[in-house]
Amino acid sequence: MRDAARIFLAASLLAASAVAGCAPKLPIEEGTLVIALPGAPTSIDPRLATDAYGEQILQITHAFLVKRDTAGNPVPDLAESWEERSPTEIVFRLRKGARFHDGREVTSADVRYTFEWILDPKNRSPHRMTYDAISRIETPDPRTVVFQLKEPFAPFLVGMSRGIVPAGSGARGYSPVPGAGPYKVDDFRPDEAISLSRHDGYHGRTPAIAKVLVKFLPDSNVRFLELKKGSVNFVLNGVDPDLLPAALKNPNLAMEEAPGSNVSYLGFNLRDPILSDVRVRRAVAMAIDRETIVRTIWKGHADPADSILAPGFWAHAEGLPRIRHDPAEAKRLLDRAGYRDPDGDGPKPRFTLTFKTSQNELRRRIAAVLQEQLRQAGIAVEVQSLEWGTFFSDIKKGNFQLYSLTWVGIADPDIYHYAFHSAQVPPDGANRGRYANPELDRLVLAGRREPSRAKRKEIYRKVQHLLSRDLPVFPLWINRNLLLRDRRLAGFAITPDEDYTSVKDLRIEGRTAAPAGKGTP
Amino acid sequence: MRRYLLSRMAQLVPVVFGVVTIVFLLIHLIPGDPVEIMLGESAVAAQKEELRRDLKLDRPIAAQYAEFLGGLATGDLGVSFRSREPVLREILSRFPATLLLAAASLLVAVSIAVPLGILSAMRRRSWLDHLSAFLAMLGLSMPNFWLGPLLILVFSIHLGLFPVGGYGTARHLVLPALTMGTGMAAILMRMLRSSLLEEIHREYVRAASAKGLSRRAAVLRHALGNSLIPVLTVLGLQFGALLAGSVITETIFSWPGIGRLTIQAIDARDYPLVQGCVLFIALCTVAVNLATDLLYSRLDPRIRYE
Repeated sequence: MRDAARIFLAASLLAASAVAGCAPKLPIEEGTLVIALPGAPTSIDPRLATDAYGEQILQITHAFLVKRDTAGNPVPDLAESWEERSPTEIVFRLRKGARFHDGREVTSADVRYTFEWILDPKNRSPHRMTYDAISRIETPDPRTVVFQLKEPFAPFLVGMSRGIVPAGSGARGYSPVPGAGPYKVDDFRPDEAISLSRHDGYHGRTPAIAKVLVKFLPDSNVRFLELKKGSVNFVLNGVDPDLLPAALKNPNLAMEEAPGSNVSYLGFNLRDPILSDVRVRRAVAMAIDRETIVRTIWKGHADPADSILAPGFWAHAEGLPRIRHDPAEAKRLLDRAGYRDPDGDGPKPRFTLTFKTSQNELRRRIAAVLQEQLRQAGIAVEVQSLEWGTFFSDIKKGNFQLYSLTWVGIADPDIYHYAFHSAQVPPDGANRGRYANPELDRLVLAGRREPSRAKRKEIYRKVQHLLSRDLPVFPLWINRNLLLRDRRLAGFAITPDEDYTSVKDLRIEGRTAAPAGKGTP
Repeated sequence: MRRYLLSRMAQLVPVVFGVVTIVFLLIHLIPGDPVEIMLGESAVAAQKEELRRDLKLDRPIAAQYAEFLGGLATGDLGVSFRSREPVLREILSRFPATLLLAAASLLVAVSIAVPLGILSAMRRRSWLDHLSAFLAMLGLSMPNFWLGPLLILVFSIHLGLFPVGGYGTARHLVLPALTMGTGMAAILMRMLRSSLLEEIHREYVRAASAKGLSRRAAVLRHALGNSLIPVLTVLGLQFGALLAGSVITETIFSWPGIGRLTIQAIDARDYPLVQGCVLFIALCTVAVNLATDLLYSRLDPRIRYE
């Protein structure tokens, strides 16, 4: 019996040492880049994908007619040039030699097919309305595409950043559709990972890294641990601010920080008897100490916002009046609005508001801080943290007083039409607070028809000043983009809208300290 | 036995019918519109109505329900709203991962619970018994969302023995199975201990010992089999729950199981997928319960199914 125990112990030790000793190399040591995304895409077909994760993968696998630079300006991709022959006729000239992953050359027929497929009602594309302005697509030769529009539509060019697929491509569930981007899909395992390899026929500079694995890791702690271990090398905005100091202690990791464009805001229901008064909305805004929230919850990795457009965006208005934290002034405004504190600094509130938010942990923490800050101005807040589907349904129905959300990926100031025009009340638009101002309606309609960039900028400057005065939403802060990467990686350019296009520019440079874990990818 | 099986199968029908009816009503009653989730906010009302008509969501709930039952009768669970894949294919693509994790977790639980349960019953009030009681308490009080990252930290980051997450090889299976199996082991261990203690003091065990059988042989050959019936009940219930997937463990270890699929389907208000997942989970639970009942007669010949 004792001998048997000894043999078992020896065998166990041998097996354990064998397991540890045979650990394979980390992927980066074998030339593979591993990216972690905080969620899995529902689709990787550019005609159907709507979630951020799908869009980010498509930025690596597909080529677009145009892409956007950091200020939101269109820059060439598959189209080497374009010309607005008239406000309703835009001509694109395709570059020569661009090829899909299956080797076929990209032609104007593919471009036409992609957009006609999206516009065909039977295909149920979620992007159909984005291209509703298109009346006809012509292809006079294989390198020329002409878009005829029903009416002038200034944001049209920005909408052309949609992945082009080969003519005849059907939509087949999870099956990937070939693109002409720098990487092609080798294997897509829904909810797990996607394996990519370099597209040798790519029309731009050939990517330096041959293989890319994108893992879908929904748990923030796990993303952090994978980075620490070295089995993930690249995480953009996927590690909680609380974990950043621990991540930076790891000698193999480096952090890059750059301006972002995702604006969190506080939404008011303007049909609510209390919040219909702009003095109350302003008082609520003044009672909120954004600097404290940025410092404590975001650990300084965010900036207070004055508009839903980020400061680096071309249409962002300069010189907007910033609402400062001023609880005394907030109380005075509430007094003037007729909401006097019934017992001074006592426990009785001036009134009670309901604040709806999602079940995201950070959002709930922010809600708790806002609740306390508003309490100090005499406003009681009841926080309701709801499951996403219920929360969003309530917001769209106008079943709220206060809520908080984030505008993600604003590509054109036409967002003001969608979010604030009086006819854009859900379900047709995103004017969730039911804001109505004829002057703003006139401006946003003019803005979407005006072809001149300079004139549009002036229109949207007025729009932003108007909203800053009326305060249908209170822009809270803009999160900075945080990239945690392996020190050996270089070449990635962070854009405000978290674009993954620059993954193709990444390269693995020299060696660094030994990996933290012994390494099982 | 055959008659018993047939009668149990017949009982299956109202159970499944009840489950799918409740789920159908609940998913249609909670707020959230699949059409808006599919088309995004930019779609106009006309486009949404078009899709609603296309998906037959504009029809009365009773008509939708009748159609769902009709599809069910022919084995057609429909097509997922979000992925456009057939629901059955979606579920079957996740089932191997769920089954594998459930079986491995069960193996972990049984491997820990059976030896420790027997030892602590045979050496009652010894240091071993106290140690196993402490371990059981520890196992029960460690939630998966804490134990999972802890195991990753120790076995993956510091010792480098296993991958942090993912699915595909036996190495990927170890940590999630340990995470899910530990809590179950604690319950099984305490259950086996108390059940075995009860049997040990019965006359037939004493008689076996009096005939010269060693205590160990008397316990292992005679008492253990009889003490397993309550353990088997718990085991069956736990295994049924494991087959429903564990959202927390699957999320921590990026395990592509049924649990995460169901939650994603609920978030997207993907009615066909939610209904399919719940139906599948209900069928698994009923099948495991039936298997458990049949195993009773194996363990105790006095139990007969006529």
